[in-house]
Amino acid sequence: MTLKRSILLVDDEVSILRTLRMVFEHEGYDVATAENSVQALAMLTKNGHFDAVITDLNMEKEDIGLEVARAAMNCKPKPAIVVCTGFASANNTRAALDIGIDYMAYKPVELEDLISALNRLISRYRDSGEK
Amino acid sequence: MARTPQKATRPQRMALIVHSDMGVLSNLQSTLSENGFTAIIARDLPTALLAITHHYFDVAIVSSQLREGGDGWPLAGVLHLVFPRAFVSVLAPSNGDVLTLQSAINYGVKEVYKESSPAQEVVGAILAAVDLTSKNQKPHVQ
Repeated sequence: MTLKRSILLVDDEVSILRTLRMVFEHEGYDVATAENSVQALAMLTKNGHFDAVITDLNMEKEDIGLEVARAAMNCKPKPAIVVCTGFASANNTRAALDIGIDYMAYKPVELEDLISALNRLISRYRDSGEK
Repeated sequence: MARTPQKATRPQRMALIVHSDMGVLSNLQSTLSENGFTAIIARDLPTALLAITHHYFDVAIVSSQLREGGDGWPLAGVLHLVFPRAFVSVLAPSNGDVLTLQSAINYGVKEVYKESSPAQEVVGAILAAVDLTSKNQKPHVQ
């Protein structure tokens, strides 16, 4: 039996959240959404387990998505962490590498690549018990 | 009869170096050996894959270019999948541009070093990172 996968989507653009929700629900995920980092951090600390977290980088503050990624890194078990951004720089990409996120996608995101990367990461985490 | 207490010997750490340049391989191998590693070298992909099937690696250093530009990245990704706790690093022409850093993240590479960096510098940075990682790993209790 395959357990249903859960995902937290974090983006301050409601239209993006709505689109990603539809995409991931279609893929069979349980989807939760947050419109800013504060909501996301609260959900990560209170709501317990997500298999994956996809966060925008620039929301109410520049690079604030890295704080969401840092918080997700501390979750036990650790979710697969993806950062999406339209404003990649050497500094924020270096910071993302140092944090140890699993995947970085640049907007406009290729949905097939993103879904495939997430499915791979979640399966690997589940198989290895690395989380 | 009293038994002589046996010394617990720590298994030697294994490193894999994959690079098409024999000079680079040799420098990195000797520097890693000086620092207590057994370093296996490979000049191409088939040799690297053979080494992966024969050893368990703690550290890997892979050139981003084996035969053509960028073909070292997937090998680094494979190393990350096969040895999830290993410190997998890549030697690339640049370690500060967005695409190189994105490749590092998406292939599960821990660090990128400049191709032109001296072996001592690369190995020193790896040793510091590996020690830091092992200190940060808390005992896992289930």
